Amino acid sequence: MDFKDYYKTLGVARDASPDDIRNAYRKLARKFHPDVSKEPDAETRFKEIGEASEVLRDPEKRAAYDVAATQWGRQQAAGSAPGGKSRDFQPPPGWNTGFEFNGRGDDEAFAGVDHSDFFEALFGRARAGRGAGARPAEGPMRGQDHHAKVMVTLEDAYRGAQRSVSLRMPAHDEQGRAVVRERTLDVNIPKGIREGQHLRLAGQGGPGRGDGAAGDLFLEISFEPHPRFRVDGRDVYLDLPLAPWEAALGASVSAGTPDGDVELSIPPNSVAGRKLRLRGRGIPGTQAGDLYVVLSVALPPAVDAPSRAAYEAFGAAFDFDPRVPRKG
Amino acid sequence: MNNVLTASVVDEEAPMSLAELARACRAQEEELRVWVFEGVLEPLGGSPPEWRFTGASLRRARVALTLTRELELNPPGVALALELMDEIEALKASLRRR
Repeated sequence: MDFKDYYKTLGVARDASPDDIRNAYRKLARKFHPDVSKEPDAETRFKEIGEASEVLRDPEKRAAYDVAATQWGRQQAAGSAPGGKSRDFQPPPGWNTGFEFNGRGDDEAFAGVDHSDFFEALFGRARAGRGAGARPAEGPMRGQDHHAKVMVTLEDAYRGAQRSVSLRMPAHDEQGRAVVRERTLDVNIPKGIREGQHLRLAGQGGPGRGDGAAGDLFLEISFEPHPRFRVDGRDVYLDLPLAPWEAALGASVSAGTPDGDVELSIPPNSVAGRKLRLRGRGIPGTQAGDLYVVLSVALPPAVDAPSRAAYEAFGAAFDFDPRVPRKG
Repeated sequence: MNNVLTASVVDEEAPMSLAELARACRAQEEELRVWVFEGVLEPLGGSPPEWRFTGASLRRARVALTLTRELELNPPGVALALELMDEIEALKASLRRR
């Protein structure tokens, strides 16, 4: 396990004041917030920042972390001699004597956050939600609702599908301790599902306490990017390149849609950017979407005598200057 | 555990009540009420007991919650941030339609 320098993660000095840490956290959180950030690793960074802030903003955890960090520094200095120790971090035995983590403070905001192995080695497994440690277990309580994302393909949305979803979830073991369990669910993805919709799986969330019912699991749908189709709500877009003569004279061409191949009739004098609408051929449903075929024109290169001659004859046949705006 | 689970889609046909939405995103009903009045969430139905939320509200409520808890934004700030995110989303969608 790697040692994590939480001060470096937040870009603050070892003796930074709580205000400095709070400000540094807010700036970075704004930058890497997965809903607004364009950075490719935003989600990972956001988690790291959250974890660093969780430790450094809590006086107890910060003090404990500082002790571990000092010991780690000493261990590294000693091990830097030839044949020295690996960079593998293990918390020294008894390092946290005298500290007590009572699970108040900022924990609520981070309930459900995945912590790193490093964090868990120092502070223990994440308490399953805010209830487990802080609240006495009395009376039935409904389990928490859980959330996850699931990637499906556009074809799944057209036909419906069955997907296996792997989830890591906090749960309680026999002794009532919080543990993280991995589980796989086979879920039916209904035909007509759209990006951003949520599936609700009743009773598949966190377990209830006592006679309390289990919570629900919500799966947010996103589509895997498709090499040929673009999706906008219920509508699907497809690019269809045409040869210049097909665009000018009209043609019947075959186009591959998510539903299978269709024969399309291209009207004469079609220009690049023209959209042909196939009503109801988008994502199916009571209000089925439409499929739009966006035309483009591909020019064959003039590479030999016959193709050059063809372009010359082509040019000679027209009184055409594309820089002069056309009427109508 | 190898039986296949069938899910319901959280949409107009199976929407969520205020209490269900609050539970699902671990927010207080009061917070959600404020977001509705700020225009962050747009439920069907006239008054809080009649409000019905769809999956889009669930997503927005969860974003609103992170913005509130982690960036310490107030409700008008959350409303502004979400409006800007909508605008970016609309621009991206218009690029996809080309």
